[in-house]
Amino acid sequence: MSKSMTATRDILTSPIFANNPVAMQVLGVCSALAVSNSMQTALVMTLAVTFVLVFSNLIISTIRNFIPNSVRIIAQMTVIASLVIIVDMILQDVAYELSRQLSVFVGLIITNCIIMGRAEAYAMKMPPHLAVVDALGNAMGYGVILLGVAFVRELLGSGTLFGHEIFATIENGGWYLANEMFKLPPSAFFLIGLMIWAINVIQRKRG
Amino acid sequence: MAFKKDTVVGTMIFTIILCLSCSFMITGTAEVLKERKLAKKRDELKRYVLMAADVDISGDKDFRQIFEKSVTPLLVELDTGVVDTEANVLDFDDRMAAINPETSSKPKKDTAKIRSRADKARAFKVFDDNGQLHAVVLPIYGKGLWSMIYGYVAVKPDFNTIENVVFYEHGETPGIGDFLNDTEWTDKFKGKQLFDEKGKVSFKVVKGGAKAGDVHGVDAVSGATMTGRGVQRAVQFWFGSEGFETFLHKLKASEV
Repeated sequence: MSKSMTATRDILTSPIFANNPVAMQVLGVCSALAVSNSMQTALVMTLAVTFVLVFSNLIISTIRNFIPNSVRIIAQMTVIASLVIIVDMILQDVAYELSRQLSVFVGLIITNCIIMGRAEAYAMKMPPHLAVVDALGNAMGYGVILLGVAFVRELLGSGTLFGHEIFATIENGGWYLANEMFKLPPSAFFLIGLMIWAINVIQRKRG
Repeated sequence: MAFKKDTVVGTMIFTIILCLSCSFMITGTAEVLKERKLAKKRDELKRYVLMAADVDISGDKDFRQIFEKSVTPLLVELDTGVVDTEANVLDFDDRMAAINPETSSKPKKDTAKIRSRADKARAFKVFDDNGQLHAVVLPIYGKGLWSMIYGYVAVKPDFNTIENVVFYEHGETPGIGDFLNDTEWTDKFKGKQLFDEKGKVSFKVVKGGAKAGDVHGVDAVSGATMTGRGVQRAVQFWFGSEGFETFLHKLKASEV
């Protein structure tokens, strides 16, 4: 395998665990707390962030040689904000109910530090194809945490996954007493903390 | 001439071009989605009108077909009761018409606190399977505690008895104002009469509960005094002289 291929693969895979934006850099935690109470919202949020991240990295990386240094943050924000508005419009068209559940958090993708961070730290310096790979990697890293937390929260909080019943809850005549705490944002704190711990332990063992 | 990005002129040019292209991106998407949004709005309107008229649209019945078959939409000039036959009623933008000074006026007695009322409003004649008039659905709105409450009232062919009501949009206190969407509450409207013997609107939302046999009163919900009052005033305004009264008189005299 050629050297550049390995490097590219590294860009894609390292943000998933080793350099995970949520777990290792603790960026974008706000939205991870808020929308991770069910798998469905977490998945849609991940898709929205992936779209914005990939296109913002692509656009910014393409025009990086024309961006004046003094307005570079504003230029990045303009691109990101436009993309977020587009995502919001599409979401409202395709899945109105879901977009209402995600409410303000789609709009808040604008201020998601992962996107700003990747634009400023990576896309401003690297050619477009690498920037897109980097964006995909980071979006996956965000998605892994979000879906992981949502998996535990929805399963233990309501006994369902994607709305399908896994554990029959007592309310519906089953055996499982749903743990309401997992429906509330603080539980995501504990879960993300545990995930950071686990990832750190694994990383250290690998050396 | 090479593009010098870090000069003042270069920065200006870059910013202008970036802003323009971003805005084109957004308006482009909006334009693409516009037709779909309009269609969705029309569907929503049809569904609410049928719900208000208490037509069964549950299950896999196609409400668009039912609407097509049994509903005649009209655009009514409120002050004269004249029906505009040429208008595209479904795409009539009532919210826009109500704030545009050219198509609206200030009500003399603004009991529903709507500030300005559109000159024209939609009305829907709903027919049953035998072609007989089943109900007339009229849109109403008025201010509650925080927000405008929007709804439809369906009136039976005696133009006095309420067939059913639907409130489809409000921004009242979450939790407390939710009873507006609760069929348990809106079912209480069924069979109530809007007007007394003298033809005055006497529909009321009664605090402490309407007495048994009260043909005009609907129970208020405790903790939501202003919301209930808003509903009462909206009904009183829209069935009063500045609302659909003239139109209803014309309907009664079968002039429309």
